[in-house]
Amino acid sequence: MPSIIVSKLNAVFTLFLSLLVEAMPFLLLGVMLSSLLLWLVDERKLLYYVPTNPFLGAIFGSLFGFMFPVCECGNVPVARRLLSQGVPASAAIGFLFAAPTINPIVIWSTWVAFRGQPEVVVLRILFSLIIAITLGLVFSAQKDLRPFLQKALARLIPQPDFTEKAVDEMPKSSLLRSGTYIMGQSASPVRLQSMPMWKAEGQGVQAVATMPQTSFSFSSIFIRPTRDRVGLMIESGVQEFRELGGMLVVGSAIAAIIQTVIPREIILSLGYGPISSIMAMLLLAGVVSICSTVDAFFALSFAATFTTGSLLAFLVFGPMIDIKTVGLMMSIFQTRAIIYLMILAAQLTFLLTLAVNLNLNY
Amino acid sequence: MNRVRPTLNRLSSRLQLWLQSPWVDAIAILAWGFLLLRYWLNGQLYVLIHPNYFPLAIGGGFLLLVFGGFRIWELSQNYQKPQAQIDQQSLQHISLFPKGWSTALLLISLLLGLFITPRNLGSYVALQRGIMDSLPATQIQPQQFRTASRPEERSLIEWIRLLNINPEPDTYRGQRVNVTGFVIYPPNLPQNFIFIARFVITCCAADAYPIALPVMLPDTNRGAYPQDSWLQVEGEMTTEVLNNQRRLTIKADKLTPIPEPRNPYEY
Repeated sequence: MPSIIVSKLNAVFTLFLSLLVEAMPFLLLGVMLSSLLLWLVDERKLLYYVPTNPFLGAIFGSLFGFMFPVCECGNVPVARRLLSQGVPASAAIGFLFAAPTINPIVIWSTWVAFRGQPEVVVLRILFSLIIAITLGLVFSAQKDLRPFLQKALARLIPQPDFTEKAVDEMPKSSLLRSGTYIMGQSASPVRLQSMPMWKAEGQGVQAVATMPQTSFSFSSIFIRPTRDRVGLMIESGVQEFRELGGMLVVGSAIAAIIQTVIPREIILSLGYGPISSIMAMLLLAGVVSICSTVDAFFALSFAATFTTGSLLAFLVFGPMIDIKTVGLMMSIFQTRAIIYLMILAAQLTFLLTLAVNLNLNY
Repeated sequence: MNRVRPTLNRLSSRLQLWLQSPWVDAIAILAWGFLLLRYWLNGQLYVLIHPNYFPLAIGGGFLLLVFGGFRIWELSQNYQKPQAQIDQQSLQHISLFPKGWSTALLLISLLLGLFITPRNLGSYVALQRGIMDSLPATQIQPQQFRTASRPEERSLIEWIRLLNINPEPDTYRGQRVNVTGFVIYPPNLPQNFIFIARFVITCCAADAYPIALPVMLPDTNRGAYPQDSWLQVEGEMTTEVLNNQRRLTIKADKLTPIPEPRNPYEY
């Protein structure tokens, strides 16, 4: 019997190391690119391009990940900043849910892992986009997002724009309202507090003096790198690499142990059912907080025994919701909102990937 | 007991402080780069990942060295002024682990990697994953492939590819075989049968997928060929009914023990 234990330990160790060695370069690239861009690109200026239409906003937000290739630990702070700067909810939520998947490094590593099944790569992108845009749209239906947000963040968010309606209803009392107004922007005065901060800043510049309005050319979204900023960049890179690396170590260990220790019959009976496999992978995605840059390799180790739909479920749902991201999202949302988001994302993932499983079977 | 506890507390708080030191981070990064490069130099990278991704791992190793080296240089520059001028607020990351844990995890995995040699996956994993005589889904499905025209030059995976296209075992009856692989004792077969097996990988050992062909030994005792030992099998193809299934089987006439190859996988 000891020989079986030795072979088991050997196998766990080899799988564990192979996952680490394969994933480490991708993690490093992801971290380098994300800290580079975080310190070179001024996202506040990017915000001028955010469309106000909820649908377009959600699409824009979802594709924002190409400018900020952050995985799910980096995107939460960015999304938080976006919301606090008054970016439409659809764009911020689209970004929050799509950015960890829709970015060049993640797409590349998924391609490396699943180059034999390109449909996995394509469907991963497609499903993540569909879910992120849907969630963005759903939340944009809520005019005032503040009850869903943590109090500290809610205070930063401007009041939603109800002024037009209010002016119609009580035309006479409009002068009695308190607040700071920007004149000359439209027929009626616009209340400063009703505007998103980023718009108000621009207005402020215009209102205060005859300063020429800054024109936002594309090149101006880049910050001039200075020596200090390089130091900061390295510091943040090290911090990110350490955190994500720790998570990667835990994730690889879990994958290696599941692969070798759980009896094959159990894995097979779970993995071959079109529904049970998806449920198992959704659960696994929720528990294993492996970084989205490298989660494709984790999924790959299940490729022989699990349905394609369930692998997709892992790849789509994992970056959106897991123990780690929920922990981080607590810094943005109230628990209630996180539960809504979790349920919505899980259901959508389930339905989409089930369709894949059923389609592939027939 | 009462004396031990304060000592332990002091030790653990000292360890925590030590783990939070930026120097330890920098050294962990440097050492991970060293580990990746060491795997490359001593050939163990073959056991872990597909050769296509060697450049990534090697490049990653060099980058980590540069990254860690730069960090150490930077720390030593600022050593005189310990008041880090880094504004914590501007750092973007919120972490889930308590302080120091991530570093500890990286260091533990690093030590494991430095002191334990990764071994080939063997018969245990092969049986656990299920031996197939077909190709896995993760393997690129060949649109066309050229196989050695002389049957005795085909490798194990080439035989499996042929079987994938034409599964009828009688097609290959009488053809000469000369393949290498490791030994597995099939659980439900008589004593004079072994499997000659290889792992196929697409990306890394995590997706290693066992392929195997049954071998009928010239004598009835397989004890001479222990599990996981490597063999060169020469013989002739035949069809046998094994567990009520007609299967392509190698009727061996010569079995030579060989050392474990540097690169154990097929692609």
